[in-house]
Amino acid sequence: MRRGPSGCGKSTLLDLVAGHTRPARGSVAVDGSPVTGPGPDRVMVFQEHALFPWLSVADNVGFGLKQAGVPAAERESTVARWLAKVGLTDAASLHPHQLSGGMRQRAALARAFAMRPAVLLMDEPFSALDAPSRDRLHVELQELWRETGTTILFVTHNVREAVALGDRVIVLSSGPGRIIGDVRVSLARPRVVESERVVALAQDVRRLLDAADQLGIAAPRGGEDDHVVI
Amino acid sequence: MSSSDASPVARTPAWRRGGPIVVVGLALLGLWALLSLTLDALPGPAATGAELWQMALDGRFASIFARVTLFMGGCFAVAAVVGVALGLVIGSRPAVDRGLSPYLAALQGMPTSMWIPVAAIVLGTSPWSLAAVVSIGAMPAVILGTRTAVKNVPPLLLRAGRTFGADGGTLLRHVTLPAALPGIMTGLELGWSIAFRCLVAGEIFSGALSGTGIGDVIQRSRETGDITEMMATILIVLAFTMLVDRLVFARVQHRLRVSRGLVDAGLPH
Repeated sequence: MRRGPSGCGKSTLLDLVAGHTRPARGSVAVDGSPVTGPGPDRVMVFQEHALFPWLSVADNVGFGLKQAGVPAAERESTVARWLAKVGLTDAASLHPHQLSGGMRQRAALARAFAMRPAVLLMDEPFSALDAPSRDRLHVELQELWRETGTTILFVTHNVREAVALGDRVIVLSSGPGRIIGDVRVSLARPRVVESERVVALAQDVRRLLDAADQLGIAAPRGGEDDHVVI
Repeated sequence: MSSSDASPVARTPAWRRGGPIVVVGLALLGLWALLSLTLDALPGPAATGAELWQMALDGRFASIFARVTLFMGGCFAVAAVVGVALGLVIGSRPAVDRGLSPYLAALQGMPTSMWIPVAAIVLGTSPWSLAAVVSIGAMPAVILGTRTAVKNVPPLLLRAGRTFGADGGTLLRHVTLPAALPGIMTGLELGWSIAFRCLVAGEIFSGALSGTGIGDVIQRSRETGDITEMMATILIVLAFTMLVDRLVFARVQHRLRVSRGLVDAGLPH
């Protein structure tokens, strides 16, 4: 699914797949077709919700569809369906500033899923949320993923979050960025970060990072180590 | 808040919104009356009021008011449309910005009324020549305000716009423009006040340039030494600018702030 130079950090990796940045060497391909620029098949969810503050929640969710030229009637029904899925039907006419942090990130999820992307790129989408909101969104994201079958490239610093959400955890080290681990996760879903098996597996992944640290391969420190989930 | 009011934002009653405006207005009138008692040449509120009434009866009030509205409205519309369009281009193209912004800043710093003698000679002493100076005089402020607002748009919103398929013109229209709107409004207000200064400077320069009748009033006051009509005209212009501020700028600014969550719910404007 992903090829190209691995001398990149987490945001660069997502930018490359999204088509915001071009690789210096190598190439990026999604499903065999090369990435030449941003496209509706690859949609990004940001760490901050990045909703447009001047639009209502419904207009935010419909923004990408409008850009794609989807007719108004079809757009409305799609928006209503996704708002219902993320539990924001009552908030459709509110503006982003009237929502809680968790609701904003839900609206951002609805805006992304409404595009029916082949690949969803998520850049630490839950790291700015309070723990209860984050736990709820972990479960909701797994449900949306199961329903839509969308490929999700999820970047996080949180090892447990990576193990809880991912089918495959790719561990990157920073400076120089390289892959130091590729862990398959086959635990039953939906998973939560507190479950014993998630915690146990997360410790294994953590040891990979520590080992890399001692070998001097990289110096991942604190928030500098990245874990990519596919 | 009444039980029928479903909105969480309580509407301030009209008397509480209008009250302070009336109180300050009366206080200013009192101050003016006191001043006119000590200064012989200054007509008081009563004499000015009588003159205003006279002007209302013989149509001078309506004429000045209508012509100021038409003149300022027309000139400002041109300045706003051209200024915002140029500002959007300059703000989103760094090369154009580097080339033009120093000159625009210089033009904005310079008093635009300096162009009036030039326009009077080159374009002739007609209202059209003044209109050209007023429109072009307001433009640098609008252009620079728009350009700065565009440069201050959070890059995250532009990235979000691009990821959801906006590009080039659509990105400018659907993301950059609405995101920059509060800053653009500030530029427009500045341009508006510069345009008005420029207009009156032109009227003072020559009654022949008069597009609104203010110049005629200035001419008459000069000849007779009686400034009652001048004071009445000042009040007409004050009423005009206050109406424009309350009905246009303040409302638009308030709506922009409310829709972006910059107003604490329920606070009166």
